[in-house]
Amino acid sequence: MTLAGCFARVRSGERLSSEEGLFLLQNAELLDLGELANEIRFRKNPEQRVTFVIDTNPNYSNVCTIDCIFCAFYRHPGDQGEYTYSVDEMILKFKESATKGVTTILLQGGVHPDLPFEYYVDLVKRTVKEVPEVYPHFYSTSEIIGMANISGLTIPQVLQRLWDAGLRSLPGGGAEILSDRVKKKISHLKGTSADWLNVMREAHRIGYKSTATMMYGHLEKDEDIIEHLDAIRGLQDEYRGFTAFVPWSFKPGNTPLEKIIPTYATPTRYLQMLAISRIYLDNFPHIQASWFSEGKKTGQIALHFGADDFGGTLLEENVHAAANFVNKTNTDECIQLIHESGFDAAQRTTLYEILSVHPSTEAA
Amino acid sequence: MNTTIHFRDNDLIPIWEKVQNGRRLSLEEGLTLYGTRDLISLGKMAHFVQQQKSGDAVYFVLNQKIEHTNICVLSCKFCDFATKKGEPDAYEMTTDEILSKITPDIAEVHITGGMPPDWPWERYLDIVRSIHERFPSADVKAYTAVEIDFFHKKFRLSIEEVLRQLQAAGLRTMPGGGAEIFSERVRKLLFNQKIGAKAWFDVHKTAHRLGIPTNSTMLYGHVETIEERLVHMMKLREAQDETGGFLTFIPLAFQPGDTGIKPTNRFTSAIDDLKTIAVSRLMLDNVPHIKAYWVMLTEEVASVALNFGADDMDGTVGGEKIAHDAGAISPMTMAKDQIIRIIKDAGKIPVERDVFYHPLHVHSDHVVGKIPYLNSIPFYANFEKRRFRILPVTPRRMGVLSTQGELDAGLFSLMDYIHQEDELDQLGWCIATRDQVKSVMLFSKEGWRGLNGKTIGITDDTATSVQLLRVLLERKYGVRATFERLHGGVNDYSRFDAVLLIGDEALRRNKTGFDGFELVYDLAAEWYDWKKLPFVFAVWATRTTLPAETAAELRGLIETSLERSGTDFVRVAGMHGRSIGLTDFETQQYLEGFNFRLGEREKEAIAVFRDLLVETGIVQTKQPTIR
Repeated sequence: MTLAGCFARVRSGERLSSEEGLFLLQNAELLDLGELANEIRFRKNPEQRVTFVIDTNPNYSNVCTIDCIFCAFYRHPGDQGEYTYSVDEMILKFKESATKGVTTILLQGGVHPDLPFEYYVDLVKRTVKEVPEVYPHFYSTSEIIGMANISGLTIPQVLQRLWDAGLRSLPGGGAEILSDRVKKKISHLKGTSADWLNVMREAHRIGYKSTATMMYGHLEKDEDIIEHLDAIRGLQDEYRGFTAFVPWSFKPGNTPLEKIIPTYATPTRYLQMLAISRIYLDNFPHIQASWFSEGKKTGQIALHFGADDFGGTLLEENVHAAANFVNKTNTDECIQLIHESGFDAAQRTTLYEILSVHPSTEAA
Repeated sequence: MNTTIHFRDNDLIPIWEKVQNGRRLSLEEGLTLYGTRDLISLGKMAHFVQQQKSGDAVYFVLNQKIEHTNICVLSCKFCDFATKKGEPDAYEMTTDEILSKITPDIAEVHITGGMPPDWPWERYLDIVRSIHERFPSADVKAYTAVEIDFFHKKFRLSIEEVLRQLQAAGLRTMPGGGAEIFSERVRKLLFNQKIGAKAWFDVHKTAHRLGIPTNSTMLYGHVETIEERLVHMMKLREAQDETGGFLTFIPLAFQPGDTGIKPTNRFTSAIDDLKTIAVSRLMLDNVPHIKAYWVMLTEEVASVALNFGADDMDGTVGGEKIAHDAGAISPMTMAKDQIIRIIKDAGKIPVERDVFYHPLHVHSDHVVGKIPYLNSIPFYANFEKRRFRILPVTPRRMGVLSTQGELDAGLFSLMDYIHQEDELDQLGWCIATRDQVKSVMLFSKEGWRGLNGKTIGITDDTATSVQLLRVLLERKYGVRATFERLHGGVNDYSRFDAVLLIGDEALRRNKTGFDGFELVYDLAAEWYDWKKLPFVFAVWATRTTLPAETAAELRGLIETSLERSGTDFVRVAGMHGRSIGLTDFETQQYLEGFNFRLGEREKEAIAVFRDLLVETGIVQTKQPTIR
C-alpha cells in the first residue's frame, strides 16, 4: 500500500478500504489530505459557496440516567440544578426563536426516566402546528430508545408515531465513537454502536433524514475512527438517509473524563478528521465544519479541508457551555466568517435547500 | 520529499515553477498569492520551501519576557500598553525585580518595554549585564530598534556605540519589533512619533555588522494594504541580501482591543493569517525561519501554520503584557508540554532551541539528522518519510544531540563518529572526497607557513574540518595558530588572519571571493596532495540503541533514496545549488567530486587520519575506527 496509490484510487472515484483509510490517516501529510478532501468537496458541491443554517439548540431537560463520563451537562433526578420544561414552555421558547429568524430547532434532552411518550409526541405535533416557521430536528437515538422503553413500543413504532406527528429529521448526536471497545469505557449505559445504527436504520427506512456525528479526542485510537466512518458509510449505502457528517472534539471541562484527558484535541487533528471523513465517506453529500466546537478561526480553515457547510448559528447551546467551552456568533458574523474564508455564504434549511445567497465581497 | 500539487487556481502554476527552481518572487506574484482562494496549494508551496530549509523541525524556546516599564514618551495609536509617569497603572521594575522573574531553565530573556523620560543609560546596560552574569545559560535578546534609536538620541551615542556597549554587557540578539509596516502613509496615520523604515534598518544593519543577529517583524491587519505588506517583505529581503543577519520573520496579527484605529474591532481572519505566513515564507527566500507567534495568532492558527510554512512557535512566553493589554485572546503563557503536543500533532519534531536557533533538545523519537549542506542532498532527496522525521542540524550539534541520546541516526561528522564509536553503528555510506572538496576552505591573508602564531576564525559547525586544519598546520607545515570559534549567525571577520568555513557558506565564498582574504585553500586538496588519499568528512550511522528492525528500515530508505537520486545531481540538488548561487553545471560538478560509499580506501583514509589525531594528542587511544 502506498500513499500515491491510495490518492490515485480516490481521485479516480474508487472507494477506500478501511485498511487504506487507516493508512492515509496515519501516514499522509496534513495538506495532502486537505487537498484531496477539498477536491472531493468541489466534486460533490461545485459552487464556491458555503452553507449555514440559522438554528438553536435548546434542551427540554437535563435529567439523565446514563452517566456518560464525557458529559458535564446532565443531572440525576432530584439533583440540584435539574430541570424539565413543559411542552408549553418549549413552544414559547420556539416562538421566540422563530422571531429571531431561526429555521431549525435541534432539540435534545437527557434520557429522562419518567417523561411519558406522549410528551415527546405532543411537542412535535404542537411545534409543527403552532410554530410552522421552524423545522423540528428532534431527539437523538438514545432518547428514541428511552421512549421505546417507557412506552413499551418497538423502535419502529416509536419512530412511526413521531413521523405521524410531523417529525422528519433526527439529529445525529450520541454516536460518539461507533466502536464498542470505546463505548464501554466512556458511556457503558448508553448502548452499543449497533443500537445507534439500528435506530438510524429504522428511521431512514421510514424516510427520515438525519445527520451523523462523531466525537473524538478522548480514549479512541485511529482504528476506532475508521471503524466509525466505515459503519456510517455502510448504513448510508442502504437508504441514503444521512445529510451530513459532523465531527467534533471532546471538551473535557467539568467532566469525569477530564482527569484522564485534560485538554482537547488540536486543530491539526480536527482538520485531519474533516479531511479523512470527506475522503472516506464517499456517499455523504455534506461535511459540516464547526466554528462552534473548534473555534471560529479553525472553523474558517476547515472550509478548505473538505467541509462545505458551516453548521448553525446556535442561538442557544448548553452542553458545551457546561464544559466551559463557549463560542457565540450571529448571522451577520457567520456570513462574514464565510466571506473571509473566500466563499459566498448561503442560508439553508435543515435539509440543505438554499434560502438566500450572500455573495462574497472579499477580494477573490 | 517530492511535492505534487493539484492546483485549483491555475494562476499559481507559473509561481510554483519559479519556487521549485529557487527563483525569487516579484511583487505581482506576491499579489497573486495573496489573492488566491486556493489556500491549500498556497500552503503546500510554502511548506515545500520550509521543508527545504528546516526539514521536519519546529523550534521553540523556553523564554521569559521582561517588560521593564510601561512608561513611554511615545503615544502610538495601536498600543494599549504604554502609559505616562504618574498614571495609576505606571510601573518601573528594578533590576532585582527583573532577576526574580527569571528561572534557571530559561534559555532566552526577551527584553522590551516603554521608553521612560528619566532612566539613565547605565540602567539599561545594567539590566542586560545582571541577567547575563546571574543566568549565563539564558541568552539576552533585548531592545527593539525603536528603543536603540531612542538611546542613541537621548544619550548622544552613535547607534554603533549603543550596540557595542550592550553587546559588551551580554546582549546576544535583538528582537524585531517596531518595524510595524514599512509605509510612510501608514506611519503618518498610526505611529508618526515612531522611527520609520530607514532608522529601523540602520539599527538592524549596524547590529548585523557587529555580529548581533536580529529578528524582523510585520504588524498587519490594521489599515495597511496587501501591497504595503509585500513591499515590507521585499525591503527585508533586500536588507537580508546585504547582511544575512535576520534569523526569523514574525508576522504579527494586529490586536484591535481598545486601540480604536480600525472601523470594527474584528481580529484578522484565520485565512489572512495563514496566507500571511505562507506568502512570507515564499517571498522571504533568504530568511531562515518564519515564526508563528501564538500570542498574536492564537494557539489555533499557530498550530495549523506549522503546515503552512512556519517552523517556529516562539516559546512559553512568560510575562507578556503588551499584546494582552490590546485584547489578545491567547492565554498568557503556554506550557512546554502543550507546545510539544501541538508540534507533534502537526507531524513535526519539537526542537527546543536557544536564541540562535541551535537545537538544545529534541522531543521526538525516530529523528534522523541531516547536515544542511548541498553535499548531503542525494541521501535525502527521495527519502520517503513514514516513521522517520528529518532534522537539519550542523554536524557539531548533531554530535551533541547524539551524545544526549536525542537523535537516532544521521550523517555524523567524522570526529563525532570517532568519539562516539561505541554507541554508533556505521551504515556503509559516507561523504568522502576524491581529490578536492570545494566546501571546506581556509580563506587566509597569509600562506600556510605565515600563519604561525596567528589567529584563525574557525567554523562553529563541525570539529572534523577544524581538526583536519590543525593536523595540516602542525604536521604538514609545522606551524601552530590560535583558533577562535566563529558563531553561527553574523560575524565580524576583519579581526582574523584566516577563516575556516565549511558547507554552503564555504562554497559561496569560494565562488564569489572573500574580501580581505586573498588566499584560498581547499583542505581536502591539501590532504590529498600530502597523503594521496580521499578524506572522509562524515559517516552515516545509527545509535546502537535503535532496534535492529528500525535500523534496517532506515537503511532501506537511504539505499532507495540514493538509488533514485542516481547521478543526475541537478535534478535532486539543483534548487539547493541555485539558492546558494551555483549554476546547475557547478552543482553537478561539485557533487560528482564525492564518493558516498564507505569503501576500503575510505576506511584506510580514516585510519591514517586517526593515527595523526593520536600523534597530535587530539584523540587519546588507538582503536579500530570502522566496524
